[in-house]
Amino acid sequence: MDPILQLEGLRKNYGDHVAVDRLSFDVPTGSIFGLLGPNGAGKTTTIRMIMRVILPDAGRVLLNGEPVDDDRRRLIGYLPEERGLYRKMKVLDHLVFLGTVRGVPPGEAKQRASAWLEKFGLGDWATHKVEDLSKGMQQKVQLIGTILHRPRLLILDEPFSGLDPINARELKDLMLAMREEGVTIVLSTHVLPQVDELCDHICLINQARPILVGRLDEIRERFGGRTWEVEGGFGREELERLPQVEAVHSLRSRYLLDLRPDAAPRELLAALLELGEVTMFARFVPDLENIFIRAVEEDQSHAA
Amino acid sequence: MLHRILAIVRREYMERVRTRAFWLSTLLVPLFLGAVMVIPAWLAARGGGTFTVAVLDLSGRFAGPVGKEAQKLVNADTEKLHVTMVDIAPGPDPAATREKIKGQVQAGTYDGMLVLPEGLPDEGQPEYVAPNVAAFKLLSILERSVNKAIIADRLTAAGLDPAKVSKLTRRVDLKTLKLGKKGEETRDQGQGFLLSYGFVMIMYFSVLMYGVYVMRGVLEEKANRIVEVIIATVRPFELMLGKILGIGAVGLTQFLLWALVLLALTAPGAAAAIGLSGVELPTLPPILLVFFVVFFVLGFLLFGTLYAGIGAAFDTEQEAQNFQMVVTLILVVPLVLMMQIINQPNGALSVVLSLVPFFTPMLMFLRMTLTTVPAWQLASSIVLMLAAIVGAAWIVGKIYRVGILMHGSKPKLKDLVRWLREA
Repeated sequence: MDPILQLEGLRKNYGDHVAVDRLSFDVPTGSIFGLLGPNGAGKTTTIRMIMRVILPDAGRVLLNGEPVDDDRRRLIGYLPEERGLYRKMKVLDHLVFLGTVRGVPPGEAKQRASAWLEKFGLGDWATHKVEDLSKGMQQKVQLIGTILHRPRLLILDEPFSGLDPINARELKDLMLAMREEGVTIVLSTHVLPQVDELCDHICLINQARPILVGRLDEIRERFGGRTWEVEGGFGREELERLPQVEAVHSLRSRYLLDLRPDAAPRELLAALLELGEVTMFARFVPDLENIFIRAVEEDQSHAA
Repeated sequence: MLHRILAIVRREYMERVRTRAFWLSTLLVPLFLGAVMVIPAWLAARGGGTFTVAVLDLSGRFAGPVGKEAQKLVNADTEKLHVTMVDIAPGPDPAATREKIKGQVQAGTYDGMLVLPEGLPDEGQPEYVAPNVAAFKLLSILERSVNKAIIADRLTAAGLDPAKVSKLTRRVDLKTLKLGKKGEETRDQGQGFLLSYGFVMIMYFSVLMYGVYVMRGVLEEKANRIVEVIIATVRPFELMLGKILGIGAVGLTQFLLWALVLLALTAPGAAAAIGLSGVELPTLPPILLVFFVVFFVLGFLLFGTLYAGIGAAFDTEQEAQNFQMVVTLILVVPLVLMMQIINQPNGALSVVLSLVPFFTPMLMFLRMTLTTVPAWQLASSIVLMLAAIVGAAWIVGKIYRVGILMHGSKPKLKDLVRWLREA
């Protein structure tokens, strides 16, 4: 299937500071796409350029194969990192406003907003002022406002920030349910466990540059595919002497062995059995944090 | 594009019209203005009352004539005023008598004491001693009767007939007639001017108030961080336009409500029904009311745009204060220049000033109430204002676009200029 969103060579400078540099990636239709990176890497600037809140110095953004303009961007549901509500407005009025400003007829907007409020357990709050709501409730109202016009693409910038675990769980469930309905979600975050749980594709940005883009399982394979986690009656020095092993890392009582590209796992296991008893031999699955740190390190050593 | 701007206009309008502040100000302003217009007329109409004045005549010959003149004036007055003059004999010790009567005035036996000194008509100054020296009607009657009596005395002494002199020297009042466009003459005793002054003040306060509303609205959107959600959907310029139009519509609604109140008051019989019969309410020609609305709309669009830019450039009202002050000062200039315009509504300076877009709403309107402004001047002032509004919107739109996402450090003038170049 064609990608729903394509970024082609996006660049943004602020004076001498390069906020985003030659950024390109595709977001496959129907995926949950994680836009990752440390604080200040350029995630929010990238998203703002997708939404045309700021305009890129170079490059372009395609939605369903066509350049995003001021009209087409309304097909996207956008929850900015800096989000808020008019405090004095009544909750339902506010949602109707957010709906109509995105082109939903007022009657329709009211119906949909009421249904969502019920679903999130806020039905009784519809006629209260926004300022009477707790912060968690306000965040739900913001989220409803984002999806009221039934966008096929959602862009959520740090959606979990400030959510308690229960609300975070609700948001995750909602995102998974929306993916079931075929909605594509771009999720920017620096909290990695959530990405592990949700995303099938990622783009890792560091210092304005993309350093890792692709399917999460393939990336895991790349970073962990040749690494084996072993435990048994052998020591580090013996392992380092094995011809099949490129590098050895300690992990508590176990070892992580990077296999040489020309060696087969079967040969490594045979060699280990020669050394002594083997109580564990498993392919190592790196978590995202591992990948993240290694990718950033590699990127910096390339740069240096 | 239109329905989205309309959604913003609608929100601005509904959220403001629903507030208690809107209805309070809508109610209180006419009440206040009504009070300012009606109370003096009402007070003047009820200057009546019953007064007893003790007259201590040390000259021995003026109490009679003064009393007579006073009675004549009281009789000539159509209002319910009764003045009783009580002659007091000075006795052997006039100073003691004065003190004694003073005591009686304090005790309330008399409302006041009129002292006619011994040296009259050539020396000494008549005195009126009373706890309430603000009873204007009574004071004016006393002063005029003392004057008349003494002048008559002097005239007689000089061998002239007071009645004849008074007839020869009677006042001539100038009748002021306002010449209209079609040569019609209408009677104007200054109410027209007072009313136009009032309307210029309303214009000033309305443009200022609704302009500052625009600024606060923009600041609020920045402060509560809703702005990014909105400008990811509509262009910043559309948001700005929607906000200005929505708030302007609130102002027009207020005027409409006021006009309805005024209409109800001037309806035949309405004034009498609320006990204001006899109070003459000044009227303004309908064409002026139309131009009042036209100039309010133009003025609000211009200043509302400037205030929107200030709101976008800063984070808080405190930070915005300096720039806000500059704009407000521009708005105050016409008030300072009002006297110049009033004295010479068609002078070269007045014409030029009223063509300056920032001053047009107040000064051109003021001139229209005072004189017949040539059509070309009126048309040019409106064209110039429209040009100024488009220019302001173009510049402010750029500042708005950049500023609305900025927060943190307070921008300086050179930052604003940089934004203009970047946008």
